[in-house]
Amino acid sequence: MSNPTSDADLIARARDGDDRAFAMLVERYESAVAATVIGMLGRGDDADDVGQETFIRFHRALGNFRGESSLKTYLVHIAMNLSLNALKRRRRSLLRFVSRDDADDEIGNLPEPRVGPNGDVDAGELHEFVRAAVARLGEKQRAVVVLRLFHDYSTRETAELLGLPEGTVLSRLSRAMKELESLLRPYVRTGAMLPEVSR
Amino acid sequence: MTDDNDAVEALVRESAARAFDAGFSDRVAARLRATTDASVSDALERQVRRVVPLVAAASLMLAAYNWWGGRESASSALEAALNLPRVSLSSAYSTSTLVDASNLPLGTP
Repeated sequence: MSNPTSDADLIARARDGDDRAFAMLVERYESAVAATVIGMLGRGDDADDVGQETFIRFHRALGNFRGESSLKTYLVHIAMNLSLNALKRRRRSLLRFVSRDDADDEIGNLPEPRVGPNGDVDAGELHEFVRAAVARLGEKQRAVVVLRLFHDYSTRETAELLGLPEGTVLSRLSRAMKELESLLRPYVRTGAMLPEVSR
Repeated sequence: MTDDNDAVEALVRESAARAFDAGFSDRVAARLRATTDASVSDALERQVRRVVPLVAAASLMLAAYNWWGGRESASSALEAALNLPRVSLSSAYSTSTLVDASNLPLGTP
């Protein structure tokens, strides 16, 4: 069932203090913010907190939102910046409290999906594995993968969102894909997996 | 090889998370309420902080003025600063300190 209420209407109502309208915007754009934040930070309290903070910031800026970019792009931009800040905090805390070796071990452990007797893999487990593989990328490459592949933004749009030249986006994406291919190719080659994944 | 690459790319594309844990919208609403409450109390606190030094300065000036005017007649500096009248047992019962009802203007209830 399509929602007949446009973003502009909901924003106007939310500006006037209509909490229900704002809740509808949250529900509408939760998936975009989740793809960004969970893609960057992995699933967990940290990601949930950054997701909430994204919408709190948007609520505070309701009066200033002019609609020059789409609401999705606006929210993804906030979510990406907050995620990068959270990663910086996490890195500082890791350096402070965890030895370098422990930190590397933690990042190195990927929860491999279980392969069934027929060679099929549960789609949910495989997607979790892919997200973990993306989380293993360096932050800069991960941000590009999240925007280009999770959100399907063009190279130019990705470059604008991250404040980078387009060439840098392309080279980071290329490096990221090489790394992801080496991790994920075994799962793609088992032909039985693809129909499972595409469900 | 290219097919594999395309398949990996497709796999990554469809692996994007689509939602937070259940009840995300409610958690945002709760946090928003908490933030709004906190911002109201912060605003009040800021107003009070702004007014307190002015009130303190005005009180000190008034106390200094009172003390200066009453330093001769008052028995202590505190009484002078607070502009307290000298009270003794005899002055407490003196009729001149009581309100004379006959002096009130007509029509006063």
